[in-house]
Amino acid sequence: MHRIDLQIRKGECVLLCGASGCGKTTITRLLNGLIPHYYEGELQGTVSVFGRSISDTPIEDFAGIVGSVFQNPRSQFFCVDTTAEIAFGCENMGLSETEIQKRIDKTVADMCIEKLQNRSIFNLSGGEKQKIACAGVAAMLPELIVLDEPTSNLDHDAINELRDIIRGWKAQGKTIVIAEHRLGWLSRSCDRVVYMENGSISAEFTGEAFFPLPAEKLSSMGLRAVLTANNYLESKTGLTQIKPFDGIEKITLNGFTYSYGKQYAIHISELAIPKGAVIAVVGHNGAGKTTFTKCLCGLQKHFKGTVNIDGKPYRSKDMVWLSYMVMQDVNHQLFAETVLEEVMLGTDDTGEQTALDILQKLHISEYKERHPMSLSGGQKQRAAIASALLAGKKLLVFDEPTSGLDYRSMECTAELLRSLHKDITVLIVTHDMELIDRCCTHILHIENGGIESGCSGKGAI
Amino acid sequence: MAGLFTADIENRGLVLDPRTKLIVMITLVVFALGGTGSDIETVRYGTTALSILPLILLMTAKQYKKAAVFGILYAIMKSAEIFLVPHITGVALSIIGLCCLIFVRLMPGLIMGAYMLSSTTVSEFIAAMHRMHIPQQITIPLSVMFRFFPTVLEEFAAINTAMKMRDIRIGGKNAGKFIEYRLVPLMVCSVNIGSELSAAALTRGLGTKVKRTNICKIGSHAQDIAVLLLTTPLHMLWILGMIGVIT
Repeated sequence: MHRIDLQIRKGECVLLCGASGCGKTTITRLLNGLIPHYYEGELQGTVSVFGRSISDTPIEDFAGIVGSVFQNPRSQFFCVDTTAEIAFGCENMGLSETEIQKRIDKTVADMCIEKLQNRSIFNLSGGEKQKIACAGVAAMLPELIVLDEPTSNLDHDAINELRDIIRGWKAQGKTIVIAEHRLGWLSRSCDRVVYMENGSISAEFTGEAFFPLPAEKLSSMGLRAVLTANNYLESKTGLTQIKPFDGIEKITLNGFTYSYGKQYAIHISELAIPKGAVIAVVGHNGAGKTTFTKCLCGLQKHFKGTVNIDGKPYRSKDMVWLSYMVMQDVNHQLFAETVLEEVMLGTDDTGEQTALDILQKLHISEYKERHPMSLSGGQKQRAAIASALLAGKKLLVFDEPTSGLDYRSMECTAELLRSLHKDITVLIVTHDMELIDRCCTHILHIENGGIESGCSGKGAI
Repeated sequence: MAGLFTADIENRGLVLDPRTKLIVMITLVVFALGGTGSDIETVRYGTTALSILPLILLMTAKQYKKAAVFGILYAIMKSAEIFLVPHITGVALSIIGLCCLIFVRLMPGLIMGAYMLSSTTVSEFIAAMHRMHIPQQITIPLSVMFRFFPTVLEEFAAINTAMKMRDIRIGGKNAGKFIEYRLVPLMVCSVNIGSELSAAALTRGLGTKVKRTNICKIGSHAQDIAVLLLTTPLHMLWILGMIGVIT
């Protein structure tokens, strides 16, 4: 990052945008003091927040002045219950018990999250966790609130709720700085948009001027669209074709029924999906998408359904051989010391040449001697896909492959998914409508665990 | 949710003050494990009776399965000690006798420990430490550590799933590297989460010079007094035995 000159007025809501690695996050870290106090680097020039120099003030002293909400809900919680979590920051400031209780009550009322009080963190959805994180910050009554990609793990509804929280803060006169890839949800909240490129500010817009920009203009700047043309969550449940597709063969799923305790998590008695298609699996949070994909990958214990592929039925424990899931956090599935070793792992004596061909096809052959963990997020994803291809998997399942990606990376992923679909069937669990528009041939809309239109498969057994 | 100090506060039955649990724990360790006063007959019976308390506590915390498993194990060991051990000799005696001795002494404390860890939340734990005047330099690192464990367990589960899909298992082709393949991603993920967690903690003021307050309400209630009343007779019996009033 270099030559940044930025003034943010009190009470302003500023959006920082730009491609990945443009320096958005760095600015947020400068504002909350994590740079230079926690992340080390070379800092020239000065940053001051409400007249206090960042480098001369210990980071803890900014706690009541600057509040920060981060991207990953897994790593910003300390307590196991929600009320204690909201109180955590206030407790650190040494406020009295009655004062903290007063602040909790007010914050909870302001944000309409009474229902979330006294709950266990482990039973919350991603969106609920992010709301608790916001409440924990708001209870400290900071003047400036910094959010670093707060929506990358959220679905449509949760994002709308976060938008209302931001508007509430704005109405209270708080200064808000948001670094974000997804733009649509901020369209009527932001006063100013700062566009960054390669570590410096290359353009500034007012909110009114920025958000009506056409999608082509935004994508040429490396930004995601403000509005997507289609919202597939409004399509009918079940399988719908959205792009021309000429495959005839089908994969049939039979008896996809699974329940946790007394409630069906999914209840699909029969479903035929076209072989070789790229299918987006959509649905609201808790609709059963995750259970569905886990069953499909043979990862759900005691699951009784079968998959018919090429005329052969496969039972749950054989499906592990058939399908492969590329997880949202791809770090979980890279084990070996080099990329080449990684893709060869677990395969029988497939020749090295085949492995190299696949790496070539996925454009990562130049990194074959690198440690997989040293690659970028997109390259890691490719390494995981390469290993699945080499292992001869027929079904590839992706869990939110584009969460937190900028336009170009999303485009690359879409390109990659399109190029796969000759002999491999791809299912993508995603909330990303732009990605669906670009690469999917079909939509599979699951709601309440079922696919029958208008009915809820979820019921008591 | 398995793990340390991660009690599910939505469904955990009767809540005891962490300090009450600690007192019961110490009593069990002193009498059951340490064998204090085992030369006095009434104290011996009292210790056995008190050993059932952790099982009851587990049940009040709605952990019936755990209580049943521990209860059956303890019953088997205890009855073996009473009925089997007097009738066997030789090598069998030394093996079975030793096993019984160790388990019967260890189990009550072990069960109590399981109850303590699974029924207390981190905030209660910190509040209790605070009331006992333990300095912040000890409580804060401990609380962060306890917060970190369940996360690592979650990561571990995800990695296991991933390995299953790649068919890496004991006895497979890459069995020799089984541990390495598991540890590398676990370490990478844990380091990432750990550093994000501390960054988030700093921005929320953990580590300020100000003395930390705590809103977690702990304190003695009827149930605490009841549990304490159940433990005191044993202490009294022991004192009476020591001064020679009873044998």
